[in-house]
Amino acid sequence: MNFIDVNSVVKQYDGHLALDHVDLHVPQGCIYGLLGPNGAGKTSLIRIINRITRADSGTVLLNGREMRQDDIANIGYLPEERGLYKKIKVADEIVYLARLKGMPKALAVSEMEKWLERFDLTEWRDRKVEELSKGMQQKVQFITTVIHRPQLLIFDEPFSGFDPVNAEQLKREIMQLRDEGATILFSTHNMASVEEICEQITLINHARVVLEGSVAHIKQQHKQNLFVVNVAGDEKVEPQQGLFDVVPSDDVRGTLIKLKAGVTLHDAIAHLNERHSLTGITEKLPSMNEIFIETVQNK
Amino acid sequence: MNKLKLIIQHEYMTIVGKKSFIIMTILIPFLLILLMFFPILLKYINDKTDSSEMRVAVIDRSHNYGGAFKDNGRYRFELMEGDSMNKTYDIYKKAADRVDAIMVIPTDVLESQQVELFSEKTLDESTVMYLNQCLTDTLSKAKIASFHDPDLADKIAQSQVDVVIKSKKWNENGEEQEQSATIASVIGIVLAFLTYTFVLSYGAMIMNSVVEEKTNRIVEVIVSSCRPMELMMGKIIGVGLVGLTQFAIWVVLMGIAMGVLGFMGVGSDTASQASTVAMNMPETESTAASLMAAIAGINWFSLLGNFILYFVGGYLLYASLFAGFGSAVDQASDSSQFTMPIILIMMVALYAGIGCMSNPNGPMAVWCSIIPFTSPVVMMVRLPFDVPWWQLLLSIVLLFGTALGCIWLSARIYRTGILLYGKKRSFKEIIKWIR
Repeated sequence: MNFIDVNSVVKQYDGHLALDHVDLHVPQGCIYGLLGPNGAGKTSLIRIINRITRADSGTVLLNGREMRQDDIANIGYLPEERGLYKKIKVADEIVYLARLKGMPKALAVSEMEKWLERFDLTEWRDRKVEELSKGMQQKVQFITTVIHRPQLLIFDEPFSGFDPVNAEQLKREIMQLRDEGATILFSTHNMASVEEICEQITLINHARVVLEGSVAHIKQQHKQNLFVVNVAGDEKVEPQQGLFDVVPSDDVRGTLIKLKAGVTLHDAIAHLNERHSLTGITEKLPSMNEIFIETVQNK
Repeated sequence: MNKLKLIIQHEYMTIVGKKSFIIMTILIPFLLILLMFFPILLKYINDKTDSSEMRVAVIDRSHNYGGAFKDNGRYRFELMEGDSMNKTYDIYKKAADRVDAIMVIPTDVLESQQVELFSEKTLDESTVMYLNQCLTDTLSKAKIASFHDPDLADKIAQSQVDVVIKSKKWNENGEEQEQSATIASVIGIVLAFLTYTFVLSYGAMIMNSVVEEKTNRIVEVIVSSCRPMELMMGKIIGVGLVGLTQFAIWVVLMGIAMGVLGFMGVGSDTASQASTVAMNMPETESTAASLMAAIAGINWFSLLGNFILYFVGGYLLYASLFAGFGSAVDQASDSSQFTMPIILIMMVALYAGIGCMSNPNGPMAVWCSIIPFTSPVVMMVRLPFDVPWWQLLLSIVLLFGTALGCIWLSARIYRTGILLYGKKRSFKEIIKWIR
């Protein structure tokens, strides 16, 4: 069952096509990556999903039915350009934004206390937001996004501005929210984090969907018959006419070979075993980063 | 609806909770009073500190009126010989170290009523006035004396007439009430000025708040929780309530101040007693009393009621425009191209209001008090002068109708404007957003 179904959405601004018949299907309880270069249309799509703007045509379904205005209470949105009222107290800010999402005041206050505690911000609760460090402001922003326990969370570049320690904590929080049943739409350029936490992705380029599916499946689709070969001693693996080439590479331990078309792994191993004493061979799948660059540049 | 309430509450508390709001609310009345007395204070300080003495030499060719001038702290006079053969300039040159100006009284001064005053530096107004006054007094006495009638001076003094018109108007029960056109004008212009200042300063506050939300990007978070229209209206209503709160505080402060003044014996105990007291009192005190009576004669209830009505209407109209245009800019410093036209219209309204003071029922006053963009200010000037009910009704209906129209327009600009960043927007582009 999909939690969000975006069907053939079109959005145009001043003669510029921002989204061209875009489809997006996010399963319930999934961490879903929305990828694409700058200006591809990610923010436009996100704004349509959380009803900040309307699509020119196409539909957005939530849980199988057409989305309504009051569904926004069920969405938490962390925009890429973070924003908080700077002059009000941390506690007031969180409670105000929670209540805007429809939380009763008492519940908003008790949840706020819990979240501040969890992020070690309790002693800052009565300080003005502008007195907080950037990292702490990011945490406050994160709390305001999740405090009302929405079923759908939209994170636009959630890790930007976090140091590695805090990024790790944030990642754990996101995972936990997913485990508690939330569906997470995750927009980013940071491909390392995509590999780490996204189960499925959609890649948008120039207003169109150019790639979609599970991360594992996409990697399989884009594999280039590359293998890392390890042999005993200081022996050097030479390219073999008709079987494989050696690809120069600095970032693998061993020798990187690329099988020629039609050659099976079995043939290659047989050949290598004849010449060397083979200690290991592993397939090298492309990173999401490589797939991203390749896909975007080929279009 | 709940969200609107929440936003209003938030906007209201954010401003009212600030220390600067509390301080300014208390301080502004004092600053205004200080501003009113500032010219008087300046003059006082100027008179006290200006010790330079003006030395005037008098060449009296009539040989009669040289004594007309009396020395005082500021002026010192000296009679000087000088026949018509010598040039005045030469005389001045010889005595330049002890004389600033030379006055020449000709022989036929009584008939010609002209004297000449020479100086190197331009003389100030007060010097010329003092000299004129001295000479006029002496010459008119000489003229009276020339009729050789010992009683003439008395007769002239007795024939001086100074008519006082005490205007009274009937209230609905036919009772007489003191009224004063001057007081009505003053009250009118004060209310007009109040509306002008309020609408502009609170309008600017809205604009800043819109731009600020856009600059620090919170607006995207907020509109993912509510409709842009709710945010805009919440802001307008919240800030408007702040304005009314401030106004209410001032009314209370004014009431306290009046009470204190009354207690100290300025004016009379109650305004209703004032008119009866006025008849038995000597002249100077009766002026104060009739002033109080005239103030009491104004229908404050309807005046304040209408003021609030116009204030609200005018505020909604202009505040929504400020919000709409504020959403089109990224930084407060870019906003002037949009605020200028709004401020200009407001200034036209204020000047029309001032122009209408002398003729509050003239055609200009009537038209400007019906046109919605000027009516909130101009009608204030007319209100103390009993505006026909149909004009009042028409003007209020038009004002609120236009305000609603402006809110609708601004909401359409706002919902697009708040999400667009980057380049500067032109009026043409903004009009496109409305469609």
